[in-house]
Parts: sequence; C-alpha cells; structure tokens
Amino acid sequence: MPLEPVAQLLPAVVDLPFREGYVRSIIFVSLYVSVTAVTLSTLFSLPIAFVMGFTDFRGKQFVKSVINTGMGFPSVVVGLVVLFAVSNQGPLGALELIFTTEAMIMSQFVLATPPITAVSLAAITGVSDNVRDAAHVLGGTRLDVALVVVKEARYGIATAVLAGFGRAISEVGSVLIVGGNIVSSSGISKTRTLTTAIQLEARQGQYDTAMVLGAVLVALVLTVNAIVVRLGDEGVMQ
Amino acid sequence: MVRLSNVSHAFGDETVVRNLSLSIDPGEVVAIIGPSGVGKTTVLRFLALFLEPDEGTVTLDGQDVWSLSEDERLKLRRRIGMVFQEASLFDATVERNVEYGLRVRESWSDRLRDELWSVLGSNGTPEAVTEALELVGLSDKLGQEARSLSGGEAQRVSFARALAYEPNYLLLDEPTSDLDPRNTALIEEAIREARDRGIGIGIATHDMHQAERIADRVAVLLGEGVAEVGPAERVFENPTDERTAKFVSGELVY
Repeated sequence: MPLEPVAQLLPAVVDLPFREGYVRSIIFVSLYVSVTAVTLSTLFSLPIAFVMGFTDFRGKQFVKSVINTGMGFPSVVVGLVVLFAVSNQGPLGALELIFTTEAMIMSQFVLATPPITAVSLAAITGVSDNVRDAAHVLGGTRLDVALVVVKEARYGIATAVLAGFGRAISEVGSVLIVGGNIVSSSGISKTRTLTTAIQLEARQGQYDTAMVLGAVLVALVLTVNAIVVRLGDEGVMQ
Repeated sequence: MVRLSNVSHAFGDETVVRNLSLSIDPGEVVAIIGPSGVGKTTVLRFLALFLEPDEGTVTLDGQDVWSLSEDERLKLRRRIGMVFQEASLFDATVERNVEYGLRVRESWSDRLRDELWSVLGSNGTPEAVTEALELVGLSDKLGQEARSLSGGEAQRVSFARALAYEPNYLLLDEPTSDLDPRNTALIEEAIREARDRGIGIGIATHDMHQAERIADRVAVLLGEGVAEVGPAERVFENPTDERTAKFVSGELVY
C-alpha cells in the first residue's frame, strides 16, 4: 500500500502553526478565569436566589428587574466599568489589577451573576407548591422545606451555573478591555483567552491558528451546552 | 381530639368558611362532603394545623394550636399527616419519599449519619417504611423512582408516606378522585386499616358513595358552614337539614 501520500500529509498535522505551550497557556487562562469567576458568581448568586425564592420583601420585583436587565447587559460596557474601577484613577486603582487575570475575573463575575441568579431563581420558584406543602405537612421545618425545594430544583440550578460558564468562556469584549490580551516574551499567555486570541490571530491573518483555537472553544461550549440540554431533559422528566 | 371551634376564613374578599365547628376523634373516619369549591380543602388545612383561620380556635387535645410558639406548634403538627389530591411525591425513590416524615423527626446528627450510610449504600430500610408500603400493597416498589409510578401507585405511596411516622390524625383531600376502582378500593382498605390502628381520619370527598362506605361520621359542607354533621347512616338516610336532604338526593345546592 503506497504510504507516500499519507507521509506527505503528516507534517501538516504534526507541525502545528504555533507553539504548543502558547495554545495550552491560552486554554489554561480561559479556563482559570471562567471557572474562578463562575465559582465566585455561584457563591454570590445562589444565596440571592434562595432569599428571593423563599421570602417576600418590599422591592423584590425591582430586584428581579435589575437581575433580568443584567442578563442583557452589553459585555463591553461591563468591561469599561471594570476598567475604570481598576485603573489608576479608579476606586480599586491601588490594587494594581489592570491587565491582570483578576480584573478579567471581576468582569466575568459581573457578566455571569445575572444569568446564574435569574435561572436559579426560576428553578426554585418553579418547584410546585404541592411539593413545598407536602414537605410542610409531613412535619418539615422551614429549613426542611427549603432543602426539599433546593433538591427538586437541582437540575435547574446546575443549568444556571453552566449557563453562566457558557457566557463567561465565550465572552470577548470585556476581557479584551480589562485583560489587554497580553502574552509574555516567551510566548506564554498572561491575559490572552481563547476568544481574544481568536480575534487577534484572525486580524493578523493567522487563520489556521485561529481555526484551531476556535475549534477548542467550540468544543468547550458544545460540551457545556450538551450538559445543559441533558440537565434540562432531566428537569422536564421530573 | 382535633377540633375546630367557630372558625371563619376569607381569601381576599371571599369568605370561604363562616363560623364552622367540627372535630375528629381518634379511631374514627369523618367524611367532609360537599360540592366542589365549598371549602373542604380549607377545612382540612385547618385540621392539619397547616392554615391559621382568620377567626375561631383550633385545638389538639385541648391545646389552642395557634396561640403556641412555632416550635410548640411543630410538635403538634408532627402528630398529624395529610395527603393531597395530587400525590406530590418528591423526585426520589419510593423509599426516600416514605421515610421523609421519619427523617425530619430525627436530630441533625442522626440525619447526617443516615445520609452518609445511604450514600455508602448500606442503610437499612426502616421497619415503619416497609410496613406502610405493605399496607398500601407496594412493598415491591421500594427502590423505584417515584416519578416512574402510575397515578394510582403514586397516590398510594403518598398515603404510605403520611402513615409511616404513625400520626394520630390523618387528613385526606380527595385521595381517590383521579384513581381507578382498583386503586380506590386499595386506598379505602388502607383507610379502614389505619382507623383500626386508632388513627383519627378526616377525608374530603365529593363521592357520597365513598363517604357511605368508609365514614363513621359525615359533615356536610354547604355554603360557608357545616349544614349537618352526624353518623353516616343517619345523615344519608334521614338528614335533618333541608339542604342536606337535597344534596344527598343529588340536587345541586349552593
């Protein structure tokens, strides 16, 4: 069997159009920033969703409106606000966070919080009153009833977290503004993420690199969305 | 005895119950009958210590329930069970559903220990759970997911769930309204069994034949209050109230 044609193709596969460490560091920065931001956002959002789901207070509808507005907030504006906050003249200027992954985490935190809060709240309030009443009449305390509701809403809450991650990992505007898309002199990403790298490589005509990075990003987002759909199906089956 | 005395209640501007008095003794079945929307469920919720009436008193063995602190009331509430018209099972196995009432009565340390053993898969099934499921003929469904049960099975599990922690009183809200004759017969048999164990049972139903079959006493709810209450045989055969007579003879009375 003639192997020459295959051998001729190999260099195209083996000799990647970029250094391996470059791509690996970009993936690492993307995941580090997004996972950290979504973790912090989840810790912040879930208590808000629980309080709103289990209590009534004045201004609840207003808070809901703010959260819903936040879901559609333009990411570049978020980036601009965070940039101002961490710039030398801003309130957090002394912390010297500008063009760091911490600043990127801040902006992604702001972007991920509204969807995580809103979807979690919808999951909690979507639990049937019958289930709450059943836990109550079976002798449950308020805490027991709340635990039952959270357990019933678990698929929706997981979906909320993954939706927040999906928004964070695929976001480009704000991380470009506050992170600066920086790579070290040795070619290792400092604040360059998959999205900002794709934007840069495409602009410089490095389409092959951009395509590989795009494929990695799409694979990540597809995986997350597949899990979201799967969890959605589980929730519907309840 | 769980007793409602001169109870009144309104939802918004609509008065649902006015000046109603009713009691259930241990070991008796009291059927609350009346047309749809007359307030049967609301009355059951008063009896389950689940809803506080606007006026009047609710007592359990002489204790004025709504004058107690929340913790004291919880102790009384835990002596009563309720089954809703819809099964309202949790998204878990049949076993986890039926043992719920037992678990919430345990201390947090015991609950955490049980959860741990459950995760490790070496947690035994409480005897009360097995007995309650046997009573409704579903002991073979122990490990099945509740959401995969048929409507009749789900309602029987719901009944077992309320029985497992051995309440003194049990309130049933139209428990057989969506069930086929076989499941209805099984639930009715379980009701008789529970009564024989000394449990006082209140059952809201619009099925007068069912009330005749299983009730010791019948309370006829017409309008905003009890039109008549008495032994089932007497109420159905010789009603003293004119509206009751019309209702049991099949005429619409509002």
